Amino acid sequence: MSATRDFSQDRTFLIDMTRCTGCRACQVACKQWNQMKAEKTVFFTGEGYQNPPAMSEYTLTKVKFRDYEKNGHNQFAFYKEMCMHCNEPACVSVCPVSAFIKTPEGPVVYDTKRCIGCRFCMVACPFGVPKYQWSKALPLVVKCTGCYSRLKAGLKPACAKACPSAISYGSRTDMIQEAKRRLAARPDRYFNKIYGLEEAGGTSVLYLTEQPFDDLGFKHVTKRPLPSLTWAALRFVPGVFLTMGGSLAFISWLTHRKDRLRKEEEAKKSATIQPEEGE
Amino acid sequence: MSAIASIKQEIKGYHMFIKTLMLLVAAGVLAAAARFIFGLGTTTNLSDVYPWGLWISFDVVTSVPLAAGAFVLGAVVHCFHIKKLEPLVRPAIVTGFLGYSLVCIGLILDLGQPQRGWHVFAYPNLHSPMFEVALCVMSYTTVACLEFLSPVCEKFGFHIPLRLLRTIEVPLIVLGAAIATLHQSTIGTFFLIAVDKLHNLWYNPLLPMLFWISAVFTGLAIVIVEAIMVHRYLKQPDETELLATLTKIIPWFLGIYLFIKVYTLFFLSARPLFDRPGLTILFLMEVVLGIIIPLIMFMSKRIRTDSRWQLRAASMVVFFGLVLNRFNVSMFGLIQKDQKIYYPSFLESVVTVGIIAAHILFFALIARYFPIFEHHPEEVDYSIPDRFHRIEKHPVTEKTI
Repeated sequence: MSATRDFSQDRTFLIDMTRCTGCRACQVACKQWNQMKAEKTVFFTGEGYQNPPAMSEYTLTKVKFRDYEKNGHNQFAFYKEMCMHCNEPACVSVCPVSAFIKTPEGPVVYDTKRCIGCRFCMVACPFGVPKYQWSKALPLVVKCTGCYSRLKAGLKPACAKACPSAISYGSRTDMIQEAKRRLAARPDRYFNKIYGLEEAGGTSVLYLTEQPFDDLGFKHVTKRPLPSLTWAALRFVPGVFLTMGGSLAFISWLTHRKDRLRKEEEAKKSATIQPEEGE
Repeated sequence: MSAIASIKQEIKGYHMFIKTLMLLVAAGVLAAAARFIFGLGTTTNLSDVYPWGLWISFDVVTSVPLAAGAFVLGAVVHCFHIKKLEPLVRPAIVTGFLGYSLVCIGLILDLGQPQRGWHVFAYPNLHSPMFEVALCVMSYTTVACLEFLSPVCEKFGFHIPLRLLRTIEVPLIVLGAAIATLHQSTIGTFFLIAVDKLHNLWYNPLLPMLFWISAVFTGLAIVIVEAIMVHRYLKQPDETELLATLTKIIPWFLGIYLFIKVYTLFFLSARPLFDRPGLTILFLMEVVLGIIIPLIMFMSKRIRTDSRWQLRAASMVVFFGLVLNRFNVSMFGLIQKDQKIYYPSFLESVVTVGIIAAHILFFALIARYFPIFEHHPEEVDYSIPDRFHRIEKHPVTEKTI
């Protein structure tokens, strides 16, 4: 992993859930740009008023609804779910065929031509982002690409473009600064934490909310970059192989030498008789 | 009589048990075909929440340590040169080879794009534990296949390849043991990335080491179970005395495993540990029935040398300790609070039953047609030959399956 890479200029989403009206324009724009099929849904199958119930092979981003009570009034909280585009993504590190790539601009993209469909990325992702084409006989993984193709053409991602109020888009440093400014300006309005600043070693999607993040169903994620966890064990692989192979080879050389010497000894002793093999 | 007719005649003579196994394997093959025709989503209960199910948990994560007997026994016999255990090596190698071949089949079924398996070589990712395991499983299957070729060559009297195989026998065993160490432990590394998913009872940084140690004693336990079963049902000689040597090794590994497990649980795991009663029960079952009780049993000499108790203790290690441990790590421990519980679909189960049946079936058939048990090293010259002369065939004893 490129632990030395500088992430400050990565394209980053700042999603301010206090400004979100729940219009789901981002959801629709994403579906249109990526030409995803509509899903047949039933209302109230998920956690609340949200539809479809979860991200899937057809839905790369989705607004989650939570209702709660504040000062005796029923309130809504929203949370846009999407790929977090981690600085050091777990999916990139676990993919056996390097199908995931962390692009220099920030988004984590996925190469459909390489994937063998082992689904390790789905197990590894702490945010539960990569989804699988369960409907197909030879399925592939599907995930948000941060609209990398639009980015290349100098455009904003579809969801950021469509959003009337809540999504800001820019370099990671600028977005962190902006988030901190908002937190400092209206401490009464915000829950004092930027989700994504340190989660999984930092991500290119930052969230601000009014409610504590746990209450909104944000996943609890370690601050350590995830690839370092497996690398801590994997870096021993060549050493273990050489030690194990070397010591076993040495031991077998020793034991077989002992055997050979004993045989020669016996052969010398009974030079006239055919040497017999020992037990 | 034509070839097909003679095969039919041969199959008619088999025991009912073998015929039942054949039926189960056929059912498994049909279910596997259904997976490719209708897709993973319709034939399995896998979902975005449970991307890995029974096929990964049993056919891959559990089968790999169950097939560890070949590398452990190979190292014990050939590297440490405990020659008297030689009669146990060939059955263990057959089990290992079959085990790994079936792991490969399990993987092919589970992969979304199995036809692209070669991409692992084309686009390697050194940071991926899956890449490492894929490479190791492929190379180990090759090594196990080469080791297995010896009885095949003996059966058909191919004396030149046989001499060659005998020349590279020890290097192969060493290579096999080194590769097996890597992938047995790296399967534990898989789950290190699931840091906020795998429950604290199992998640700890020494998971790879625990996986390797448990593979070692499981390999030995499987050899014991297999030898006693084969004595009972395939009328092979009683190896209780030889097995007593293995039962001396097992408690050491069980003890080290238990020690590391307790150490990691209290010093390297995150809190809270016992917040979910269901998982706590599974954990206790795994530790008490699968490690502590067999450890106590194997420590008593009387039990170590009695074939009935050997079998009981060894099968406890395998069925409660190892199998439950691998399911806990790869399935139960990954279930989050308030999540819908995964259970395998009918077709998934049929495939897995078919794979287990295939293993037993092929083992019995190989034992029937190839010199797996008649191989007596004291009659064979193991030195590297100076000329390639014909090796005499061993007389094949009458067997009843």
